[in-house]
Amino acid sequence: MDQYLPILLLGLLGLGFTVFSLVSSAILAPRKKPSAAKLSPYECGIVPNREPPQRFPVRFYLVSMIFIIFDIEIVFLYPWAVVFHQIATFGLIEVIVFAAVVFVSFLYLISNGALTWGPPKTLQSGLPARTSDSTISRISAARPEPGEAA
Amino acid sequence: MLHTTLLLASTRPALPDILVFAASAAVILVGAVGVVTSRNPVHAALSLVMTLFGVAVLFIEQEADFLAAVQIIVYAGAIVVLFLFVIMFLGVDRSEDVEVEPLGGQRPLAYILLGITLAGILAMAATSHWVTGAHQVVGPIQGHITASSSSPSGEVAQLGKQLFTTYLFAFEATAALLVIAVVGAVVLARRPPVPQDSESERAEGKLSS
Amino acid sequence: MIASLLATPVNTGKLVVPHIRYLSILPPMIMIGGAVLLLALASLVSRPLRVRVGTWGTVLISGTALGISLWQWTDVGDHGAHTYVAHAVVMDGFSVLITMLISAAMLVTALVADGYLNREGVEGSEFYVLALVSASGAMLMGMANDLIIVFLGLEILSIALYVLTAYNHRRGASGEAALKYFLLGGFSSAIFVYGIALTYGATGSTNLTQIADFLAKNVLLTDGLLLAGVSLLLVGFGFKVAAVPFHMWTPDVYQGAPSPVTGFMAAVAKAGAFAALLRVLLSSFGVISSDWRPIIFGMAVLSLVLGSVLALRQRDVKRMLAYSSINHAGFILLGVESARASGVSASLYYLFAYTFMTIGSFAIVTVLGREGDGDHDLTRYRGLARRQPVLALAFAVLLLAQAGAPFTTGLWAKLQVVFAAISGGSVPLAVIAMVTAVIAGYFYLRVAVLMYAGGDDARADAPQPAGSPEPHAMISFASPEGAHANVTTINDELLMTGEAPAPFGEDLPSVLPVPALTGVAIGLCVGVTVVFGVWPSPLVDFAHQASLLFLG
Repeated sequence: MDQYLPILLLGLLGLGFTVFSLVSSAILAPRKKPSAAKLSPYECGIVPNREPPQRFPVRFYLVSMIFIIFDIEIVFLYPWAVVFHQIATFGLIEVIVFAAVVFVSFLYLISNGALTWGPPKTLQSGLPARTSDSTISRISAARPEPGEAA
Repeated sequence: MLHTTLLLASTRPALPDILVFAASAAVILVGAVGVVTSRNPVHAALSLVMTLFGVAVLFIEQEADFLAAVQIIVYAGAIVVLFLFVIMFLGVDRSEDVEVEPLGGQRPLAYILLGITLAGILAMAATSHWVTGAHQVVGPIQGHITASSSSPSGEVAQLGKQLFTTYLFAFEATAALLVIAVVGAVVLARRPPVPQDSESERAEGKLSS
Repeated sequence: MIASLLATPVNTGKLVVPHIRYLSILPPMIMIGGAVLLLALASLVSRPLRVRVGTWGTVLISGTALGISLWQWTDVGDHGAHTYVAHAVVMDGFSVLITMLISAAMLVTALVADGYLNREGVEGSEFYVLALVSASGAMLMGMANDLIIVFLGLEILSIALYVLTAYNHRRGASGEAALKYFLLGGFSSAIFVYGIALTYGATGSTNLTQIADFLAKNVLLTDGLLLAGVSLLLVGFGFKVAAVPFHMWTPDVYQGAPSPVTGFMAAVAKAGAFAALLRVLLSSFGVISSDWRPIIFGMAVLSLVLGSVLALRQRDVKRMLAYSSINHAGFILLGVESARASGVSASLYYLFAYTFMTIGSFAIVTVLGREGDGDHDLTRYRGLARRQPVLALAFAVLLLAQAGAPFTTGLWAKLQVVFAAISGGSVPLAVIAMVTAVIAGYFYLRVAVLMYAGGDDARADAPQPAGSPEPHAMISFASPEGAHANVTTINDELLMTGEAPAPFGEDLPSVLPVPALTGVAIGLCVGVTVVFGVWPSPLVDFAHQASLLFLG
């Protein structure tokens, strides 16, 4: 039974931290609720008539994909490392084959610009027909050079 | 789940084991219900974390510590984060209108089927004493190991041995699965190539913004 | 728990590593290795790879795999069937034939896809990488001797297919189909894994031969867990082979996927899934065949009847072929249901015939779908024989073969499964199968008749000029110049030019260019269907021998 004591303590600690955070934020936060004007996004004094789109670039998705793939690869590497001395060369070869195959997917991601950051390069490709609004917004974002692509 | 309970029943667990099982089962179920009932997709994803955490506790209960760690790191950590990313792409403030039914009568039918399935499982679990082949394999995988060496490092070592002997081919095939996952993600995430600006633009069209 | 505190040192001493006979796993290794090399090449060169490079690379890779599987065949003939790589895979006549079938299907698909990718102006390298790895997944299913390998093969096959379904970004239908396929497929995979878990719980192993061992040596008085496991496995397989209670995805996905992918999916996914289904049921659960035979019986009847009846109502050729593939799945299930060696060989032969018929049919559908690949209405086939007699003849032959006409492989395939069902004692099933074959004959013939007899309505139609914009909504951002550039590069000599631009959206059949490689692919499919239909003994013997060398 006493083996479970640390778990219990950990649980209590977690609970305590949660309660502490909630209570302290309730105590310390400013009392006044922000007005609607204060919450609205600032758009040169114009009242926005629609919600600004809150989207992430799809690159975030690719980065998290890379993370998962290599996360899983490392999960496989851990048992290998534990038994490394027993399987020696054979295991090394097998793991190298495994890692090499997965590494090619990494190469592929790099070549597709999944890790290339900077100004969005292909925004113009998906845009609808050009209007005066879109032209104004486009002037601010410099068009990339053709050779700049990955 | 069902299988787990049966195994526990067959080995006559101590009271703390039962308590831990009950607590984590409750966590799992609450999380699972939360996934399907919450309107806000972020809440659904966080409920999923709860379920996965409960499953990890069950793994520890079964002395599969490595699996528990993987469960937390890969599932609760990485995959749910991926879910959250996808939710963010699609707009976090958008809650689905679940009242509209594209096909009438789907919902009652689903409830009826759910009820039948649940009743069937419970009836089977209550009435029949299921014979399992698990007698040979209680404990770590494939029973190559004696009870004394089931320490955490021994368990990982056992897993490693199995991975490089019995499941060697499966291990290597996993590499292909991972490659497919990456290629698939990139193909689906990239924008359609734009023909009008010739090759250079198309090379850029590969680049997903 | 107390035991875990007594940390014992890790067992020292060398581990006995499994002996690997590389010949047994060489074909999928070549497919995956080739795909990885192709991917590396596409990543390392700065410009996108030309479609041709991918095509010839894929032809080379799958041709090599085909050659290796012939080598495997002689090896199995000399040394018999064995399990290799720690009993994870098996090399027997059955697995070798499936490997051959999948390599050949991949080769033909690569030829078809070449014309398609060029016409649509989509990049090719990922297409071929996905298709190659997908095919390797089907091979793994065919040679698996462990439920884990079956599952990995299933996932590799399916995940690549989900992505291939959505490969053409310009078609909204493709994305929708891929999403449906993915959601339902993921669900069925989860059910399949649960089935594996329950089977493991009931038998103590995931290895197919060990399961068979356990079931042979132990009499299970209450086998609820095992039966639940087997039935969940059947759900997973049923989804992949598109057998009826689990067929819902088929019409939408077949219609939405790019046509070459549809042919590939229909052939390879069915071959892989049926191979694994046959092996799991017959070699592992052969002892409890009285339990699963009624389920397969029901699935077969439903697939046969619903597939043929619903196909009658379809206006879209791809949907019609989708329902007909459900009907075919019912026929192959006849061989499974008989639970005997003759049934295995009949199913194998049916798969062989079906692969070439279906890839050939979808190759022709690809050509006739025009740019955009959205033009598959039945009326488009009216009078095809007058405009493109060779193409119409090829399509007619393939359709008649699917209907089971004499002098085609289709007839022998249907006869064999029906005989297998009769010898297995399921005479009602054989009767139902023959009745649905007649029903199915109607809709195949309807298309054939439409192509040959309905020429009058096409008289007023003007040929569609190459440069006219695609009426499909998804393509609206593509400029006419781009489309023109794409088309003219395909096949200058076959292209009709100089016609006046026609108005939007009008019904405009015309002589459609058949890219050379697609023509070769269609020729191959028709050739195999007819040659082995007229002279069936080699292939029948082949399938028979393969099932004799089935490691049961």
